Amino acid sequence: MSLTVEDATQLLKQVIDPELGVNVVDLGLIYDLQVDGGCVYVRMTLTTPGCPLHDTIAEGVRRALQEHPDIQEVDVELVWNPPWNPTRMSEEAKRQLFFFG
Amino acid sequence: MQMHAGMPGTTVDRATFRLPFLFIVTGMIGFVTFHLFTLVGHLGWIDDAPRNPVGWSHVHLILLGWATMVAMGAVYQLISVILQRDVYSRKLGFIQYALFTLGVAGLVVGFRQFQTGWIAAFALLTFTGILLFTCNIGQTLRLARSWNPITLSVASALIYLLLAGGTGLTMGIGFATGWDASFRLQLLTAHLWLGAVGWFGLLITGFSYKLLSMFHLAHQVPTRKQKVVWFLWNLGVITGVTASILDAPLGHWLGGGLITSALIAYSLHLKEIRKHAIKKHPGPGIAFTQWSAHGVTLIAVLFLISAPWLSFEDPRLQLILGWIYLYGWVGMTILGYLSKIVPFLWWTYKYGVHAGKPSTPTLGDLINQRWIGITLKMIGIALLLMTAGIAIPSEMFTVLAGAVLSLSSLAYITWIALVFVR
Repeated sequence: MSLTVEDATQLLKQVIDPELGVNVVDLGLIYDLQVDGGCVYVRMTLTTPGCPLHDTIAEGVRRALQEHPDIQEVDVELVWNPPWNPTRMSEEAKRQLFFFG
Repeated sequence: MQMHAGMPGTTVDRATFRLPFLFIVTGMIGFVTFHLFTLVGHLGWIDDAPRNPVGWSHVHLILLGWATMVAMGAVYQLISVILQRDVYSRKLGFIQYALFTLGVAGLVVGFRQFQTGWIAAFALLTFTGILLFTCNIGQTLRLARSWNPITLSVASALIYLLLAGGTGLTMGIGFATGWDASFRLQLLTAHLWLGAVGWFGLLITGFSYKLLSMFHLAHQVPTRKQKVVWFLWNLGVITGVTASILDAPLGHWLGGGLITSALIAYSLHLKEIRKHAIKKHPGPGIAFTQWSAHGVTLIAVLFLISAPWLSFEDPRLQLILGWIYLYGWVGMTILGYLSKIVPFLWWTYKYGVHAGKPSTPTLGDLINQRWIGITLKMIGIALLLMTAGIAIPSEMFTVLAGAVLSLSSLAYITWIALVFVR
């Protein structure tokens, strides 16, 4: 059975923003996720342009996907347009930030 | 694998770590040295008249050896965050670090021994370090061509730092040759306006616009007040420096009034950031940077209202204002930000290559926020009690509160340093 977008999404949930303690999927940082056989394309952003963790989070996304045996190629594109805004967060992320933030 | 973002864990990433790390660790050593000197010297210098060589040695140790050292490290760490481009030359940064550190160390010893030739020589080294820093960051700003209240504040702060270094060097040479004897007081007051108010004030306000919005996850914060703060702060510093040169006491009050107005606008802007914040509580360090700003604003307003009944010639008043502004606001802000920027720096270096793997610690796991909050509270209370002791005046009260201030400051910096063993 080949890898699905849902499988890739679950892998991306392992990537936690180390400052906020919330994963990149629930933060709404993933703009586009495409799976084509063993190739995965991710278009993503960060909560603020020039975030000091910008390289490490994007690299974490690549690493989380690449460690899966069915993935051979990962393309991570970091974009600033459209800019991220808090409405993109899941209810779970909002709950975590409001309660523990 | 195709990757549009940078590649952490590589030699480039390690190189970006080393320069801010050097500055920040050296600054922390300067901070510890300052408080150990203070404790070993039985805190005698705290309530001495401000203008004496031992006092100058202490003041330069804390303001250059700690505050400016950490501020330079933070600029090297965060300028890329603000401009989204790397610093112009890291190599120049390392040369600047060596010259500045050596210069400040020599200056502190020179003042302590009151060796005038020594002071002049090391003032030259310190100034050269400052000159290279302003050229390096100035060129980075120029190439980025991204002008907004944040970058304008940093650029203005750099100009004031350079001018503060220039007036300091002139006084250093004057100590050795005596050529500036007729206008040394004017130079000194200009030096204070440029360094204490211009450099620290504009760097802190400018960086805070970005950092507080980032830590609070605040979006679409209006920037109008940032422009007001920048304008009033610059006008205040220029007025203060002009008053110094012309030896016009009224001008100092006017400059103080403008800085107080800028502080009010800054304080209101911090409330705006909090209003737009998604993350209301990003940690006690960040909360203290804001409380210290509100506190210094309130004290500045009370001071201005009471001005007709106060004499600025009173050394006790100068001491109180110096401690409140420099330790209560500049110092507390830097201490508060250290609780964020040190874990950021260390996490990126040590755990950046593990991002995306289960059980990778978060930044919160690297630092004990509870103790950060407790020690910051102790620092704040001790500082208020110490300034009350100076005001009364009660030497015993001042010395006891001063001892608590130094001990709690040492405890705080120990919590920060423990990040490096996580």
